[in-house]
Amino acid sequence: MSSDADRREASEEASRERHASRGTETDGGTTADAEGETPAESDLPEDYGSGLSWPARYAREHVPHLVVIALFAAYPFLHAFLLESPVSAEAVMLLPDVDTMTAVLYFGLFAMSFDFISGYTGYLSFGHAVFYGTGAYFVVLTANGKVPFLPYDAPFLLLVVLGGVLAVVLSLLIGVVSFRLSGVYFAMITLGFSQVLYVFVRDWDYVGSSPRDGPAVVGPPDATAPAFNVGVPGVDALNLAIGGLAGDSVEGLFGFVNLSSTEVTYFMAGLVVIVCYFAMQRLVHSPFGRVMIAIRENEERAEAVGYDPFRYKLAAFAVSAFFAGIAGGLFAGVRRSVSPDNSLFFLVTGDALLASIIGGFGTLAGPLYGRLFDESVREFLSKEGAGGGLLPYLRNHLPEGVLGADIFGGLTVQEAIGAFLNGHAALYIGLLFVLFVLYVPNGILGTLRDRLGATVAKWAGARLSSGGDGASASPSGED
Amino acid sequence: MTALGLDPVVAQSLVDGLGQFLRPSTLFSVLVDGLAKSALFLMIATGLTLIFGLMGVLNFAHGSLTMIGAYLGGLIMVLTVSQGTPNGTRLAVFFVGLFVVFGVLAALGGVIEVGLIRPLYDRPPIYQILLTFGVTLVLDELVRIVTLFYDIQPVADWQAALGTKPTWFTDPVDLGLASVRGLALFEILFGVVTVVAVWAFLNRTRYGLVVRAGSEDSEMTEALGIDVRRVFTVVFALGAGIAGVAGMLLMWDKNWGASVPLAAETLLPAFVVVIVGGLGTFRGTVYAALIVGLADAVTTWWFINVVDLTFLPEVVVFAILVLVLVVKPRGLFGLAEVGGH
Repeated sequence: MSSDADRREASEEASRERHASRGTETDGGTTADAEGETPAESDLPEDYGSGLSWPARYAREHVPHLVVIALFAAYPFLHAFLLESPVSAEAVMLLPDVDTMTAVLYFGLFAMSFDFISGYTGYLSFGHAVFYGTGAYFVVLTANGKVPFLPYDAPFLLLVVLGGVLAVVLSLLIGVVSFRLSGVYFAMITLGFSQVLYVFVRDWDYVGSSPRDGPAVVGPPDATAPAFNVGVPGVDALNLAIGGLAGDSVEGLFGFVNLSSTEVTYFMAGLVVIVCYFAMQRLVHSPFGRVMIAIRENEERAEAVGYDPFRYKLAAFAVSAFFAGIAGGLFAGVRRSVSPDNSLFFLVTGDALLASIIGGFGTLAGPLYGRLFDESVREFLSKEGAGGGLLPYLRNHLPEGVLGADIFGGLTVQEAIGAFLNGHAALYIGLLFVLFVLYVPNGILGTLRDRLGATVAKWAGARLSSGGDGASASPSGED
Repeated sequence: MTALGLDPVVAQSLVDGLGQFLRPSTLFSVLVDGLAKSALFLMIATGLTLIFGLMGVLNFAHGSLTMIGAYLGGLIMVLTVSQGTPNGTRLAVFFVGLFVVFGVLAALGGVIEVGLIRPLYDRPPIYQILLTFGVTLVLDELVRIVTLFYDIQPVADWQAALGTKPTWFTDPVDLGLASVRGLALFEILFGVVTVVAVWAFLNRTRYGLVVRAGSEDSEMTEALGIDVRRVFTVVFALGAGIAGVAGMLLMWDKNWGASVPLAAETLLPAFVVVIVGGLGTFRGTVYAALIVGLADAVTTWWFINVVDLTFLPEVVVFAILVLVLVVKPRGLFGLAEVGGH
């Protein structure tokens, strides 16, 4: 590769940064006042469309987004409300915990980043967990004072971004080699790279006393563990610590809203995820994203038209690694611990794949719904019934006669549920997954878009084609 | 952990280690160990490479089929063998069991191909990966349910099955230069038989000719009046059956053992072997199995005896994969057009 190409890469990187930062500002604004009021500032061109002021137009184009964000924002309150209501037992059984929802958010972000490269360019990144793990390990190791040149109490958001940058570096190294291959070979070589790192970290005793179980955030030997704050950098009042017991709780917000630390974690993680999602969403709908799709549909033709697929694939891979790293950092921040098996192992990529297929491959937002579905089923059939679930509910509500009834050979109903349902969500999710691959190849969101697309897309598409292209073409106009 | 620095003590231990390693007896036992590992890798990968070569399907469920074969084989052994069963009978039961396991898994493979994979041939190859990945989830969880139901710990190796080995295989065998594990020799024998059998099937039978023709150009083969779809089913069943046989062999090896995680443990090296050899070439798979097996044995010896780097053998396996793909993107013997999608 010539230095010229590198420079072009760098300029692309810069243009992406511009995208990302714009996403940050606008969406940060949108979420802060929840229902999409005026974002503070933006560098969108002033001649964008006509008539309405641009924030109003932006909001109108993103009505589905705003509705979904509002639903997610309302969830903890709804959940709390239903737990107090007459149907509380049913709510405990069916609805996922706020804790679980937080997991849906950060893992959903990882699954989205996986979808960004795999769903849009068609290159199955089967070693994607390596970027997730990089972000997670970076945060935990820094907080334990084990990363040189970085103070253990560096701001959490900085750590998350740096973890993402580290993942980008790694992705460029892996990508330069891997993108010479395609199809199955690409999936396998990325898997190979990630497994090398997995096996290495699993036995690397620098990370902690028991590398196989992974390190927890304990802080450096002579200091206490740092808190992980999410919020506006530099303004203490606008920062809240995340992570279960270590997190902040809020009382008397606007005079009447009380949030437990679990709920604070949920909202703060959600904030990061929204920012990242809109950044990716913007990229997917930019000319850059069009080239990604062109590569998926017909790489030779994309090349013949004059795009250099290698550069675009590498750039897309780097972007996707960046957000995977952020997701990993967020995961480590929420859980305050990390292990090789829940961050670097290839089955973690498998989970992202699962979420992507169920939610909709190549839909970007779909994987979040896929993960929501996945986690809900898992919690519903969880062994302990910690967040509620089927077994505790049945135990409390079915009469003893039914529970103790014989099905066959001395096997009672209760035992049967215990043996075949509890803790075996993977079986049913696997079956559903197979059915989705066979009969709903577009996933939940993909199918919804196909069905409703005619009306919604016509309505939104007119807007996108008149305003969206013009707006997004300018920053990366060099192509 | 020992650092690989310029510390004179470490350097001395490395030199000593090298001297020890180069002794004929050490080399010989490492060689036997490596060949045994190669044989196992080969057994695991053969089914995968047959299926991919002909159908272009990268079967993610392969590891699960191996794992089911291990449990099924273990079940047959545990049910028929008791404490006092003589060695000869144990071996005889094992061979009878092999046929049963092969038959059951071939049937399972056939069902999976006809019922699930066949509708997907018109779709991009990624969907076959996805589908077989889903099948893996289902099969693993089913086995977990069954084992838990019968109070067998699914994560740990199944000790009862390990204990059904004839004492011939547990006792060391003296081969003059060094004494080696009896089971290693059995595994090597098995590997050789597998290579010869598959080679003979592909090159000396009419059906093998059809399979090779199908791998080369399935449309042309179909145009010549051969029902390629049925060949697909047969090869998938055959591959699944071989996976099951490999599993039954692994069930006796204390380095593997029957357990649910065996599925992932075998799937990854199988992929490595198949990809390193070149997707779809049986010859490549044999060479790759030899390379990976020997490298594994050598690094295992080094980490046990000289350097304290537990991750060495596993890293080496994947490092070989990465290295080969960097130097030869289609694997050692891979053809440009096979799997070129």
